[in-house]
Amino acid sequence: MSGSRAARLAVLRDQVAALEAGTRTPSLVQPFGDPRVDDCLPGGGLPLGRWHEIVAEGLETEVGAAAAGFGAMLARPLAATGAVIWVMRRDDLYAPGLESLGFPGRRLIQVRVRDEAQALMALEDALGSAGVAAVLGETEDVDLTAGRRLQLACEKHGATGLILRRRPFGGSARKAATGSAAATRWRVSSAASHPPPGEPGLGPPRWSVALERCRGGRPGTWIFEWNEEADHGPHPLRMVPGLAGDALAAAERVRRIA
Amino acid sequence: MRRLYALNVEARALGLFAGQKATDAAALVPELATHEADPAADAAALEALCDWCVRFSPAVAVDGRDGLLLDITGVSHLWDGEQAMADDLLARLAGNDIPARIAVADTAGAAWAFARFTAAAGQALVIPPGAQAGPLSPLPVTALRLEEAAAAQLARLGLTRIERLIGLPRAQLTRRFGPQVVLRLDQALGHAREALVFRRPPSPWHDRLAFAEPISLLDDLVRVAGDLAERLCARLRTEGRGARRFELTCHRADGKAFPVQVGLSVAGRDARILTRLFAPRLEMIDPGFGIEVVTLSAEEVEAMSAAQGELDSRRAAMAEEGVAALVDRLANRLGEDAVWRAEVVQSHVPERAERAAPAISPCATAGWDPDRPRPIRLLAHPEAITVMAKLPDDPPLLFTWRGRPRRVRLAEGPERIAEEWWRRPVGDIGPGFVRDYYRVEDEAGGRYWIFRAGLYDDARNPPRWWLHGVFA
Repeated sequence: MSGSRAARLAVLRDQVAALEAGTRTPSLVQPFGDPRVDDCLPGGGLPLGRWHEIVAEGLETEVGAAAAGFGAMLARPLAATGAVIWVMRRDDLYAPGLESLGFPGRRLIQVRVRDEAQALMALEDALGSAGVAAVLGETEDVDLTAGRRLQLACEKHGATGLILRRRPFGGSARKAATGSAAATRWRVSSAASHPPPGEPGLGPPRWSVALERCRGGRPGTWIFEWNEEADHGPHPLRMVPGLAGDALAAAERVRRIA
Repeated sequence: MRRLYALNVEARALGLFAGQKATDAAALVPELATHEADPAADAAALEALCDWCVRFSPAVAVDGRDGLLLDITGVSHLWDGEQAMADDLLARLAGNDIPARIAVADTAGAAWAFARFTAAAGQALVIPPGAQAGPLSPLPVTALRLEEAAAAQLARLGLTRIERLIGLPRAQLTRRFGPQVVLRLDQALGHAREALVFRRPPSPWHDRLAFAEPISLLDDLVRVAGDLAERLCARLRTEGRGARRFELTCHRADGKAFPVQVGLSVAGRDARILTRLFAPRLEMIDPGFGIEVVTLSAEEVEAMSAAQGELDSRRAAMAEEGVAALVDRLANRLGEDAVWRAEVVQSHVPERAERAAPAISPCATAGWDPDRPRPIRLLAHPEAITVMAKLPDDPPLLFTWRGRPRRVRLAEGPERIAEEWWRRPVGDIGPGFVRDYYRVEDEAGGRYWIFRAGLYDDARNPPRWWLHGVFA
């Protein structure tokens, strides 16, 4: 009895897998080049042809600088394969700043929209266009329906979406949607930089990043540093080992004192 | 003194004439109904009529107070001849209660004369090519569009008809009556050229579709737009050209015209793309009792090669076209200035170092100076911050931005940026326009771009601190 049940389950699983494969192109990935990160992600890297959510905390939800930098770094390897489009409601993105991070800011197509509906419309249109490699979008929220539409658009030509959740002009925060169709969700904040010993000034930018949700993967927390040497080869983000632990330890110490 | 400005047929039949004193006219016809003349409204109506006439010819000019000149060269075959075309125009005008007379001739001057002096009311007169001299001869000299003084003097000398003028020595005519008489005569007879100011520049890239029955369904309009685009694009293709701007005009049965424009970021001639761009805009058109004629014209026509030579692979070309089509869709829906690409401007002042360029345009090779780190977000207006600094020229130890104090952990700078003094009047130039920029990092890891405007030794303008951008 149990044997036939297992066989039936296996058949059903195959059917489900076939159904899923029918609607979805086999997913490509963009590996970070570090097994500690890639192992947490399905397929060993950031899934392409999907859309990802990047969220921030505190004042960053309004400024959106760390999230923009992290998103641009995720999109940078894709910029060589097609056009990159940035949809926003506030045009305070500064192209020279993107170029300082090695992102091709001059080739980036910037789109300014007036409201959320237009933002989602432009995102969907851009994601579904041939020749577009990645689309970054700043929106307040993407509900389940809009997320599904974005996902369908991504699947048309394999474009990757990076949605930065940003509150448009101050004001009170909207309640976050309960569900999400995003493939991953990253929580990003800037982390203290470490200049090379003996050198004054600031070190290369660092982000403390938490992979909060990931379909078919595991969550994780890391600190990434901007990889200055990465021109074409390795990923522009380099994991900085141990320091995430340091930060955690520091946080724990504070808690113990409190 | 009040005078009659214009009359209708009935009033003219009673013997009244334009220019007559209003009191005289009222004495002759006590029941005369008069209204205030409104030349501005007349001119506006004539211009509206001029726009309406574009359905007959792309080159229409307003002529004086009460006339229109249509250049129908190469258009009349669409109506099977000039007579049929003129009759159609007359019938449509009559349908709108506009009395008119029409003359078709080789020259604008001759047509003007025949329409006013030969054609009867409601008649469309066609003078065969090269035959204007005969019918023109018996007309009075006022048919030559002369100034009043010259016409009056000619009449005083007994030169009342044009035939008398034709035989006279031209040098003497010019000496006595000025150059205008000879010029107008030559223009009427076709010996001299005449430049007409058309309401819109005549463009050979123009096509039209007329319907036996007015259409009003959106689907039909979209199909018509597609057909027109197909025809115009086929012509553009055979001549190796593309256009960046297309205007589709729907002429409604009641004479109103609704233009719809779309722009392309790169010159194009793909009817499918055009139709897709037009379709959402056609929804806005109120078809009323139906649309009779649709015209499509292409502007900013430029040479365009069949295939883009520099792109070797077909896939790259397709991708490029996909992005161009996306830019067009977004620009037409969100506005032309809502889609752009940043372009390098050679300026040290951060807010002036970039400029919006068309999204699809060649990218300059030289970028911004990579040795000067710049923030990823640049505030449109720097925000004032309060600062605690150890020494005047040092970066601050602590600053407060948006109500929260931030302790500076690392700092870098200053980078001195002077404002561009040549953009200001000479008297305004001073040390207040020097900014010292610092990159600072607070204890939470936030990286900011702050600057001090002004110098400490300037007692009148103490320096102030601002936050101008946020680094990633």
